[in-house]
Amino acid sequence: MRFISFICALFVLSACSGGGGNSNNGEYPQENISIVIPYGPGGGFDTTVRVFAPHFAEKLGDDVTILPENIPGTGGRRGTTTVYREDPDGYTIGILNLPGLVLPSILGEQVDFQLREMSWIGRIESQNYVLLVQAESDIQTLDDFIAQDEFTFVSIGYGTTVLAAIQIAAEQLGLMSKNPKFLTGYSGTSDQLVALVRGDGNATISPISTAYQYVRSENLRPIAVTGESRSSYFPDTPTFEELGYSGLTPLNVQRSLAGPPGMDPVVLGKLREAFLQTMESPEFLEAAAQAQMDVAPLNGDLAAQEIENNFQYYEGFRANLSNPNQL
Amino acid sequence: MFEPLLTALSYLFSDGLNFLYLALGVVVGVLFGIIPGLGGATAIALLLPLTFGMSPEQAIVLMGGVMGAVSAGGAVTAILLNTPGTAPNAATCFDGYPLTKQGKAGLAIGAAASASAIGGMFGLFILAAVLPVAKSIVLWFGPPAFFMLALLGLTSLTVSSGNMLRGLIAGCLGLFIGFVGYDEIGGTERYTGGVDYLWDGLSIVPVLIGLFAIAEMLMLFVKGGSISESGSQEKIRFTDTVQGIKETLKNLKIVASGSAIGSLIGAVPGIGGVVASFMSYSFASQITKDNSKFGKGDIRGVIAPESANNAKDGGGLIPTLAFGVPGTAEMALFLGVLILHGLNPGPMLLIEREYTIFVLILTMLGATILSTAFICIAAYYLVRIAYIDSGILIPSVISVSLVGAYAVHNTIGDVFTAAFFGVLGYLMIRFDYPRITLVIALVLCSLMERNYTQSMIMFEGDWSGFFRDKTALVLFLFSAVALSIPMIQAFRKKRQHPDGTPG
Repeated sequence: MRFISFICALFVLSACSGGGGNSNNGEYPQENISIVIPYGPGGGFDTTVRVFAPHFAEKLGDDVTILPENIPGTGGRRGTTTVYREDPDGYTIGILNLPGLVLPSILGEQVDFQLREMSWIGRIESQNYVLLVQAESDIQTLDDFIAQDEFTFVSIGYGTTVLAAIQIAAEQLGLMSKNPKFLTGYSGTSDQLVALVRGDGNATISPISTAYQYVRSENLRPIAVTGESRSSYFPDTPTFEELGYSGLTPLNVQRSLAGPPGMDPVVLGKLREAFLQTMESPEFLEAAAQAQMDVAPLNGDLAAQEIENNFQYYEGFRANLSNPNQL
Repeated sequence: MFEPLLTALSYLFSDGLNFLYLALGVVVGVLFGIIPGLGGATAIALLLPLTFGMSPEQAIVLMGGVMGAVSAGGAVTAILLNTPGTAPNAATCFDGYPLTKQGKAGLAIGAAASASAIGGMFGLFILAAVLPVAKSIVLWFGPPAFFMLALLGLTSLTVSSGNMLRGLIAGCLGLFIGFVGYDEIGGTERYTGGVDYLWDGLSIVPVLIGLFAIAEMLMLFVKGGSISESGSQEKIRFTDTVQGIKETLKNLKIVASGSAIGSLIGAVPGIGGVVASFMSYSFASQITKDNSKFGKGDIRGVIAPESANNAKDGGGLIPTLAFGVPGTAEMALFLGVLILHGLNPGPMLLIEREYTIFVLILTMLGATILSTAFICIAAYYLVRIAYIDSGILIPSVISVSLVGAYAVHNTIGDVFTAAFFGVLGYLMIRFDYPRITLVIALVLCSLMERNYTQSMIMFEGDWSGFFRDKTALVLFLFSAVALSIPMIQAFRKKRQHPDGTPG
């Protein structure tokens, strides 16, 4: 991919020098822009970028092409580091995971990027979480759920946003005295939901849109959702806030765009403007709805503020986030 | 069931463009299958942007063409160069390559292609048949069953490697390499030495490229000449390929068992085709009476893994479609294509879009047949590879392989991995250690460990839980039987020759 983009870049460069009198002389953007996806092709972040990119390119200018570039590895950190170290010329930006990239430094792992320094363009998506049990269980309400004696939460591995959400929920709902088990290690959210259907455990927490199908097919039952208001997917399911557990309201997972630190304000301004235009474009919104994205736009300043909020929120639970299955 | 099938059929025939997409998918699939390192996942990733303007069904036709064709293409390289074109073709090398050395490459390719076609059709038939009950099949396999399945894989590995001690050493090496990386449950890094590249563990494709493609070229470099040891170019005849097809039809029992193993293993997410085709190979070598030629150029050793290899695609779609849980990298990408087109894989897809799924099944069926025909015809030209002088072949194969290794994740680390395993692979050939055993142990390692740990958390440390899980118990019994077969055979031989003369 990089090779191809290199060739394309060469092509564009030679076209510029050969043509001489380019109409948008010296103005950004003149080259292809790559959006780094720190995860493999086919996943949620990949889909978001592939839906978003063509509409974003349109708003940036007539001849702009955006190249999605997958740089997977180390749970999203490798791609993020790549963006962080790139030249802040506006030709390389990335789609970043919150709180996925905040968690490693809170858990005491080494990271080679500073999220607070990066040039935030805007937030595309935000998904709230839902607490789920098996549809065939007797649990109907959050009170029923808490009243149980045994808890086995199925989850993706340690260091992921989902496990952190489960650990924080277990603490806030006052379950820790009952010694809940955390059955970690599943390879993805769908995998984890199937594990709950199968009965490997008796509860889990998952991003809402992934869980939706399993609820509709009557395999799983939603008990409560995070966020300030009820989810359009589950209008009958109460929020944790309504039920008196407002500590769980901020739990969500966000997908935001950012560039390397120190980006030229003019360039950043153009990106931010095109971003907001894209977020209002009916064509984009239609494509996003088809791909079942949870579009929740925030402008660059507010998206940057979310980083601060995330650090504060998860820092507060640091003691609860240690590995439950430490050997 | 028949109404959506007919709707799907009439959809496919309603628009000539569908056939164009199918043909494009098949050609890309075969080519990506043939080139080591590039596989179905790369092909789907590259074609994905092309589908933006298409309807969901058109995208499915294109991707179905790729998925139905890739594994058949991979057999060609396995047979001609002793290098699996895609990972699951590794077991095809065992007998395919010796056949090439004997100047029977056409025969082997014909057999592989036709076995692939029948296996592929079998797998898709199984898929169509079990879709209504797909849910319960996926639900049979919890962590204890996964662990036992990995154990079964390792058992059949030990049993079928000719020299058990060397097989065990290679297997242990594979397990050891499999431990490298971040342990998701324990939350620690293991043997990474702080190197970021090793955090995710070694991925299988560059390891395979090294162990097979590069090692083989080193071998050829030392030997000199060309791959084929007998005969000259004049011996290439189209009738060889036809003869290969006949061989497949003669050995329908092996095709059937291979297809069954392929669909079953394919349906279990995370195990993948390498294990499926290997288990089919080892099963075939155990059930056939005269198995002395296995590993030395027995055509049945090509038929068995190839039938399993294509059947696994049908099986692999069961968890992908029914639960959105992909079994392989290729399926993960296909899942992305579906989501992008607004089809959310999961329990509701089967109920609400039955006709779309039949479009997929029919397309893959078409792709299976088309790719077989394509390969059989191309075999006439492809077998010449075996007669190319090493001075031309070695640099071409090594450069394509290294680019292939780089292309998987765009990481230079993968190129070094391929080079390292190239040297290791050469040493393993030189000192007669089975390379495939290392590969399978590497594939199964993380699966086995993770599911063991998960099971122990579920059982609260009481290991007898493995025998209370029904699926796990059945798989354990299979392992026990597999282990006892060689002992029973040895015992019988002893009774036939009580004086101790070898049988």
